[in-house]
Order: sequence, then structure tokens, then C-alpha cells
Amino acid sequence: MKFLSMGKVVLRSLFGKPSTYGYPFTPREYPDTLRGAIGIDIDACIFCGLCARKCPTDAIEVNRQEKSWTIKRMQCVYCSYCVDTCMKNCLWTEHTHVVPDTVKQVDTYKQEPPEAEEEAAEEQLETPASTEASLGQTDSESAGQAETPEPQEGEPADA
Amino acid sequence: MISFYGSEISYFQVITAAVFVVCGPLVGGLIAGFDRKITARMQGRQGPPVLQPFYDVLKLMEKEPATVRGSQDFYIMTSLIFCVITGVFFFGGGNLLMVIFTLTTADILLVLGGFASNSSYSQIGAERELVQLMSTEPMIILLTIGLFLAKGSFGVAEIISGGPVAFPYLAGLFIGVLYIFTIKLRKSPFDLSMSHHMHQELVKGLTTEFSGRTLAAIEMMHWYENVIFLGFIFLFFANGTPLWWVLGIVVCLFLYFVEILIDNTYARMRWQFTLKSAWAVTIIFGGANLLVLYYLHASQLLS
Amino acid sequence: MAKRTVIPFGPQHPVLPEPVHLDLVLEDETVVEAIPSIGYIHRGLEKLVEKREWPEMVSVIERICGICSFGHGMGYCLSIEGNMGIQIPERAEYLRLIWHELGRVHSHLLWLGLLADSFGFESLYMHTWKLRETVLDLFERTTGGRVIFSVCKVGGLRRDVDADTLALMERKLTELVPEIEELAKVFIEDSSVGSRLKGVGVLTAEEAAALGAVGPVARGSGLRMDVRLEEKDRLYVDLGFEPCVETAGDSHARCVVRIRELFQSIELIKAAIQRIPDGEVSVPVKGNPEREYIARVEQPRGEAYYYSKGAGEKFLKRIRVRTPTNANIPAMVKTLAGAQLADVPILILTIDPCISCTER
Repeated sequence: MKFLSMGKVVLRSLFGKPSTYGYPFTPREYPDTLRGAIGIDIDACIFCGLCARKCPTDAIEVNRQEKSWTIKRMQCVYCSYCVDTCMKNCLWTEHTHVVPDTVKQVDTYKQEPPEAEEEAAEEQLETPASTEASLGQTDSESAGQAETPEPQEGEPADA
Repeated sequence: MISFYGSEISYFQVITAAVFVVCGPLVGGLIAGFDRKITARMQGRQGPPVLQPFYDVLKLMEKEPATVRGSQDFYIMTSLIFCVITGVFFFGGGNLLMVIFTLTTADILLVLGGFASNSSYSQIGAERELVQLMSTEPMIILLTIGLFLAKGSFGVAEIISGGPVAFPYLAGLFIGVLYIFTIKLRKSPFDLSMSHHMHQELVKGLTTEFSGRTLAAIEMMHWYENVIFLGFIFLFFANGTPLWWVLGIVVCLFLYFVEILIDNTYARMRWQFTLKSAWAVTIIFGGANLLVLYYLHASQLLS
Repeated sequence: MAKRTVIPFGPQHPVLPEPVHLDLVLEDETVVEAIPSIGYIHRGLEKLVEKREWPEMVSVIERICGICSFGHGMGYCLSIEGNMGIQIPERAEYLRLIWHELGRVHSHLLWLGLLADSFGFESLYMHTWKLRETVLDLFERTTGGRVIFSVCKVGGLRRDVDADTLALMERKLTELVPEIEELAKVFIEDSSVGSRLKGVGVLTAEEAAALGAVGPVARGSGLRMDVRLEEKDRLYVDLGFEPCVETAGDSHARCVVRIRELFQSIELIKAAIQRIPDGEVSVPVKGNPEREYIARVEQPRGEAYYYSKGAGEKFLKRIRVRTPTNANIPAMVKTLAGAQLADVPILILTIDPCISCTER
């Protein structure tokens, strides 16, 4: 029978640092092995549609005629079956998750014909403005450098 | 001096009572804020800002009233008024017996408010609050008798401004009051009726059916009560000299910290244990102390 | 004649980890009878076999429950592998064991925290969950996810773990052991905790066997039953596994069983990391399941079995998952009769209810 056996632990944490940190103001560091958001190298894609068939939540839509690849960010469960299935290895998982938002983000990537000029696109992961109707012209460089979206960058993180 | 229902009260006492009414919730809220912060640090969390209880009460007052029955609100508001009256008597230097009984009345009105809502959780919480009241009342009454025997008066003003320091003569009662303190402050292991901890089997116990302004009133009542109970502890040490006044305040704050520590190191007990152990402590420590005091009086060692 | 009141307990109640409804018939704080009802979280996941091909069905079965997630994925894969007669490589078996036991460590730490919370010991709850974070970080580093791992597939595993990460895992677990011991001492020896747990919810061995209890509930009452003893490939027995059994049959005994299993799982993981062979982690799979097969897995909560029936197509005909909480609910209802109201959360938590598993 013991009394106050928790006393030592409690006093130690009272005078030590707290073990929580202030997310989202303090950003989280993810390991490299994280199964995060899905990124695509759109120029290598051949629009076979295998990834859309294997997706368990039907988050991916592939349109062969228009050469576009759409993913519903909020429906994806990060299982990465699409990454395993892709025959051209043009899909990968990022090292961060999709940033939480108040609208359901849908990202569309289109393959430009080779002679068209690339336009710098804003339909990246961290833009809260994408809606169902908006289509983006995302060129391959931006897709390749889909940066880690920093949580502080204008996200609705008000306490 | 003014005459108030037959007894003479100095202007100074009126001022202290008014200071309590205004500053009591501020002090009580700050104490509650530090309580939450220290508790969080003990649990390894960061904890809310120290002024959080004030933000909570202000937000509660903005909410839409959603009470089940009108009588609930009436009971709680009357309970708050009685709590304030208790504090006015106590900090205005009035009669200690009066203080005890108005405090009990405030608690009974809270219980009635709990019964008035038809929720089963609320009713069981109200029953447990009555058990808590039964556990603490004997000790408080013995304390009053002890203070009378040690200091020679029932009046708070006389107790704190003269005579010997009560603590050595009331050591047994002090131990008993510490035990009761945990029940009165609603801290683990005796937070049976309405726990500030998260998960209790009675949802929120007595306060389950209250929201909005009424819940804000209950919060403020807790603040007032905490200040009054700390005042009881202060009575053990004050004797009119500045040294003991300061020491008394320091001891009060230290004991509150000890209560927070006990809160975080014990599981919650059942009501049967609470009642039995509280009565055992009362009879053994309180009774023994009173016997010693009577002996001292009889042999003229104490005036 | 005391008056009887009926309290509706749940499905939304702060002390319940999952939505279950109990109508408690009370006489003055003593529970006379408890009438359970479930069905608040039924999602119809078993019907999805008609719409998802059997390789993708793993991700659906994994998401039956967040705590037993790896066990579900592994159980389904074992069922299909048995159905099709596939033998997975040895390295995959060892890794599955490591992850499964790590899942058990996580589940028991989570349960200990919830138990502490149910009797009002909030600081113990917070400290136990702080330790759980270490385990979750290990999961994230090895499988990519904190709760849902998506690492099992039919034929083996989807990803391998290199030797450095295994060494890191061993180190972190060795560091974790003294911290868990400190908290385990509070659970086992502290007097206030003991007064809430000892003698509460006693199940004798005969009652447990008659009601069909499984897992730590049965082992806490003296029944020596564990699926890991009968495992086909003898991996557990090779590592020297012996089930933890206590005889008292009350909540304290069940708590001690889970704490002992915690330490035992950490030992098993470390032993497996020492002995893991090199090699492939998956084999190619051809064809479709055609038979019926039942695979059994010892989840943290008890024995679960996974029945699959194929007909040679891409879509299975039927799967059925029998989870341990399904078998433990009658035991819970039996212990609730005659208990105090203050003990109801403890009795609900003592069977470690995972209602999401029960209702899929």
C-alpha cells in the first residue's frame, strides 16, 4: 500500500518543461518515411487510370481526353496504393500532410502540349482558394517542387 | 461606528466587507487560474493562460439561456447571494456562527438547484453534494468551538486582532480542517459531486443541466467560496501582529498548493469512504483537540 | 423498497471511449441491472467487399478501428493468404510480429490512461499518454502513419524497415521501460487506485468461461487462453512466449495482466529484432481466393477471427470479422449487475471496449 506514489512524477513534471508543444504555431517535424500528401509528375503520366481504379476512396479522377489528373485532397486517406500501382513511377508521397482548411481542396494537374508556354501556377497545396470549379495550370516544375506547406503561412490557425 | 441590527460596526469593517464583494471574485478567479496552470504543468501540459477563468465566465455570460426550469436559475442566484452575504459577514468581522450557517444555506440552495432540474445525473450529483455537506459540517462546527475556546470570542474581528496565535492550541483541529479542506475545495480524492476534471461518470454531476449565466454564477460562487475557506485557514494564524498576518497568508497559499498536489496524486474515492473517513478524522482529531482545550480552560492555563 | 431510476448512460458520455448505450437501472447508486444497446457506429464495412477488390479491401478492414488497426490488417491478410495457400517470407513474419506487438504496447498504454481517467486520476492519465507518444512516433517512422499503418498486404508487407531503424526502435523501447515501470507501480501499488480497483467486477473462472470471455478478461480470471500459443508457424513459442495469467478475477487483476503483457510485448519485440533474418518482405500473388478460410489473431483485446469466402473472382463473396469485444460484452453486463454507480466507468473500461470493432 503506498500513498503519494505519483508525487515524484508530478513534482518532476511541475518543475520541468511541458511535454506538449504549441502546434500549429510551432511546426511539426515529420520523419522522411511519412506517408503524406500525394504529389505527381504530370509530364510523365500516361493517363492509364490504374491509380484511380485502385484508390479505395475514389479520390483520384483521370481524364485521358483532356490529359488531366484530379485528386480530392480531403478524400485521400494517404494509403499510397496509387504510388505502388503507378507503372511510370510518377506519383510519390510528400513528407507533409495536407494543411487543414475550411473548403474541400481539389487539385487538378494538366499536361501541357510541349509547345505551349508554361505559366506559373498558384494551385498548390497551401492555397485555400481552390474550389470544385477552378482548374489550375500547374506545370511540371511546380509539381516537382511542391514545397512543404508551412502551417504558419496564412492558414486559419487562429486560436 | 454604525448600528446594524443591534450590533456596533465600525466603518472599517464596512470597507473590508465591500472590498471582499468587489475583489473576492478577482482574487478567487486568479487563484483558480493559477490552479489550472499548475495542474497542467504537473500533468506535463502547457496549461491555459492564468486569466482563463475570467475569459470563461465572460463567455458564459454571453450565451443563450437554455435552462430546463426557471426555478433552477432562482436557486442558483439566491445561492450566490448567500455566498456573498457569508463573505460580507466574514470579512466584515462578524459572527463566525452566522458565517457557518449562511454558508450552509448557500450550499443547500445549490443542492436544491441540482434537484430542481429533472436530469438523473444532476439529482445524483445533488445527493452526493449533500453527503459532502454532511461530511464537512461537524468539523466546521468543532472548529468554531475550538476558536472560541482558544481566542475567547465568536467574532472574526476579535479573533484576528488579538490573543495568542491559535495554531498551537488547535493543532488537532488544524489537521482535521485540512482533511475537510479537500472536500470543500472540490478536489480529488473527494470531488464527488461536480468535478473539474474531465471524465466523471456523472457527466458534470450537479452542474450538468446548467449553462450560460447560471453556470457563470456557479463558477463565481466557487471563487467566493475558495476565498472564504482560505480565510478560515487564516484564522488559525492571525493575532493582530503584522508578522503573523503575513505568515498566515503565506501558509494559506502554501496549503492551496498542497491541495493542488493532492488533487493530482489521488484517485477519486467513493462517497461511503468520504463520509466515514471525514467523520473519523473529525471525531478523533477534532474531539481530542477540544478535550485538550477544555482541560486547559479548566486548569486556568487559558483565559 | 427503494425507488428505481433508469439512467441512460451513453452513447455520448465523456467517460466512454466509444459510443455504447447502457440503460442502468439504479436503486440509490447501486446498479440493479444494465441493458446494453449497440449499433451507433455501424458503418457496414463488411458489405464493401462487393465494391472493392480483395487487394484494396485491406485498407477498408484496417480502418475498422484505430487502436486494433494493425491486427485487423494482418488478420485479413492472413485469411486471404490461407485461402490462397500463400506462404509469406520469414522476414515479413518477424516484421508483422514486431508491429503487432508494438500495437499491443500502444493499446495497453492507451487503456491504462483511460482507466486512470475513469476513476478521476487525471495526472496519471496524462503521463501515461505521454509515453504513448513515443510509440506513435516509432510507428510513424517505420510505417508512415501514426494510427493507420497501411503496411500489410496479401503476400507480405508493402515496405521494409532497415537495420538502423530497428536499432533505433530497440533503443527507444529500452528507454521507455523504466518510465512505464514508474507508472505501473502507481497502478499496482497505490492505495487510492487499489481501493477503486480491487474487488470491483469479480468474474470467477467458471463465469468467464461460461460467458465466453476472451483476452485479458479471461486471463485475469485464471483462464490460460491465448491465440499466440497455437500459432501455426510457432514464431511466438520460439521466442519463449507464455501468457500472463492472474487468478483474482477483479479489475485489479485485469489491470495487472495488461501491464505484464505490456512488458512482455516489449521483450518480444526486442527478441524479434535480434533474430530477424534478412530477405524479401513480400511474394508475388496470382489468382483469386476460391475457398473459405478462418484466420485467428490475438488482438490486444482478445481473440479475433477473420472469415473470408472467395469464389474465384476479384470480389470476395463474404468476409466476417468477429472481434473480441463482441465476446466480452456479456461478461461486462454480468459484472455491472450489483455494482456501484461510481464503478460503472471502471467496469466498462475493464473489458477494453472497442465498439467500432464490434459494429464495423
